[in-house]
Amino acid sequence: MSLQPANYFELFSLPVSFQLENTQLEVAYKKLQSEFHPDRVVNADDRTRVQALQQASMINDAYATLKSPLKRAAYLLKLAGIDAEEHNQLHLDEAFLIQQMEMRETLASLIGDEDLEGLDAMKDSIDKEKTARLASFEAQFTASHFVEAKSIYNQLQFIYKLLDEIDKAEEKLLDY
Amino acid sequence: MALLSISEPGQGKPQAHAADNKVVKKRAIGIDLGTTNSLVAIASEGRAHALCDHDGLCLVPSVVHYAEDGKVTVGYEAWLKGAKDSRNTISSVKRLMGRGKEDIHYDLPYEIVSADNGGMPLIKTAAGNKSPVEVSAEILKTLVRRGEEELGGELEGAVITVPAYFDESQRQATKDAAQLAGIKVLRLLGEPTAAAIAYGLDRKQEETVMIYDLGGGTFDVSLMRLEQGVFKVLATGGDAALGGDDLDRTIIRWVLNEAGITDELSYAQLNSLASIARHAKHELTQSEQTQVTFEQWSGTLTREQFNTLIDVLVEQTIKACRRVLRDAKVTVDEISDVVMVGGSTRTPRVRERVSEFFGAEVHTEIDPDKVVAVGAALQADVLAGNKYGDDILLLDVIPLSLGIETMGGLMEKIIPRNTTIPVARAQQFTTYKDGQTAMSLHVLQGERELVSDCRSLAMFELKGIPPMVAGAAVIEVTFQVDADGLMEVQAKELSTGTVSSVVIKPSYGLEDKDIEKMIMDSYSSAASDKEARALQESRVEAERIIEALVSALVVDGQSLLSQAEYACLEEGILQLQKTIESGDSDAIHEASEALNEATLEFAGRRMNTQIKTALAGHSIEEID
Repeated sequence: MSLQPANYFELFSLPVSFQLENTQLEVAYKKLQSEFHPDRVVNADDRTRVQALQQASMINDAYATLKSPLKRAAYLLKLAGIDAEEHNQLHLDEAFLIQQMEMRETLASLIGDEDLEGLDAMKDSIDKEKTARLASFEAQFTASHFVEAKSIYNQLQFIYKLLDEIDKAEEKLLDY
Repeated sequence: MALLSISEPGQGKPQAHAADNKVVKKRAIGIDLGTTNSLVAIASEGRAHALCDHDGLCLVPSVVHYAEDGKVTVGYEAWLKGAKDSRNTISSVKRLMGRGKEDIHYDLPYEIVSADNGGMPLIKTAAGNKSPVEVSAEILKTLVRRGEEELGGELEGAVITVPAYFDESQRQATKDAAQLAGIKVLRLLGEPTAAAIAYGLDRKQEETVMIYDLGGGTFDVSLMRLEQGVFKVLATGGDAALGGDDLDRTIIRWVLNEAGITDELSYAQLNSLASIARHAKHELTQSEQTQVTFEQWSGTLTREQFNTLIDVLVEQTIKACRRVLRDAKVTVDEISDVVMVGGSTRTPRVRERVSEFFGAEVHTEIDPDKVVAVGAALQADVLAGNKYGDDILLLDVIPLSLGIETMGGLMEKIIPRNTTIPVARAQQFTTYKDGQTAMSLHVLQGERELVSDCRSLAMFELKGIPPMVAGAAVIEVTFQVDADGLMEVQAKELSTGTVSSVVIKPSYGLEDKDIEKMIMDSYSSAASDKEARALQESRVEAERIIEALVSALVVDGQSLLSQAEYACLEEGILQLQKTIESGDSDAIHEASEALNEATLEFAGRRMNTQIKTALAGHSIEEID
């Protein structure tokens, strides 16, 4: 049996939308892997095993893509025919860019001061921004305002990167 | 004629009689290939047990001894030989698998030499230079043989465990060793996952558990989410170079310090110290203090002192636990169980600290030395094709990020760490020069930015790229990591659809041709081993015949044989002696038979004489 879904949502029998029911995804994922995981065909012939390897890899990729809100957003844009990775500075809010630069400076000084509490507070505030932007993306995408949606996605990329950097900085200070 | 083997009543498993059963069970084994000790286990119908030898010893020390004549010994016997011949006794070879000479930061009781092509170092032995892969293969052969003896026949394959933290090179080396040992690897299973399977922790409600595995040479910590039938690894961490051996080393350093020894030590001394340290560590698990003696020096080591010595190392393990929790975005309070695996978790200070950090009780019900092999056996049984209702689903992750070297010595991550496997990622590249037909990719594993701070896995040479204008070719390279954590690369030029050939040059591994050569060498040495034994046996037999005949001739030759007969037998002896020197076991055997035949008459006469002598001096009445 071969899997040939039209897209990752279909693979898990989920509707194509930004809104996603996490438990539904988990259940569907486990069901598929129970069937297609290479462990199931360990004694089969080479061709069957290679196919299982490819199917299972695809299922894992689909799961990882849909599970992460950021990746899901990029994937939805792709399905709508928009290349999410294409960076066109004109589409990025100038105010947003300035804000990002300021954030970076703040982060640098917090790291310099080894201010763990400050970093925690910064993380909380950026997290709130992230949540707001994700909601905004959903609204725009559902209304088929793809250009706006893409712009919000690019902003989310910056935000996620910033959060990652705060994480790394905290890790370093806590000496992990 | 092969003898039918009959087990002792109460022991041994019933043989699978194909004629009787409709379903012949497929047998597979679980192998824990450890740094200090290895173990083989089998399972049947959801129950597993370790296989032990006739003395009841289950653990097989991961020690291999090479004698000058090529004889290989594995296990306790080898360990004993190590006392007198440490140079040729290889222990903890797991630390060298998939590693380079530069990775070894401590003293070894044996000598290593760099291989011609860089990569894994070779170990110098009396029987020649051996790759760590060959040494591991010897251990595997012993374990497989034990499994075959127990199950009375050939095996489907084995599940072999590896530390979850093992990188691609280390895993590939393990698989290569299995290939060399002639056993099919059903799955390379992470040791923590195996432990979770053994404890059957999935039988409860959804749980988040931590597996803390401190073995002889490696430390592994894995965070797993378990629910009915599904074992998912959320994150892994650890230290591939931290284990019980290192705890021992703190004692060795303490001894040298206390005894004021600063000279370089001989291999024999290092070996001796390792044993002394290990013994002291074991003693301190039961007692508050222990007496330590090395050569002329003797001193007392208390548990408190030992705790101080190892605290830094134990803290390193706690740090790794914290990292894994962060990676998985799980807090300490969410952990419901902690499973202790590995002999070194018996150390009181380790248990103390772990219990303290997690604020939870730690599981030690299953023998920490056996739990991994037991889990592997359970999985092996399932993978061999024996179904028992719902099978468990093991979702493992890649422990380290996989990436390639890009401009300026930077590492670009292609597959991030803790990604569930199997996984495939494609990346596109283009050519740099007009008409370029080949391309080299340096593949690495690690988390750092610079190539020099990451682990070099291999160079992938792509050939057969259709010549085009520079930058026109679109080469899509697909990196595939399979369920064992092993990597494969495929490359295709998209505009023409041409598939490039990929030649892999592993940085710390064996190329296919190296393995093939080792396999061929082992065949010829196995054959010559057999021949050598046959020769030895025939020689021993022939010499025994000659000795018996010579002493018989001395006693009765003159009285029972004519001169011609005597001369004939003497000639026969000379002939046989000549054949012994020939080295042709068949010829020796034939000549022995011939001489035996020739002495039959003489033997008959001797018997008659002996009977007559026995009877003489006794009346008929007495004999009745």
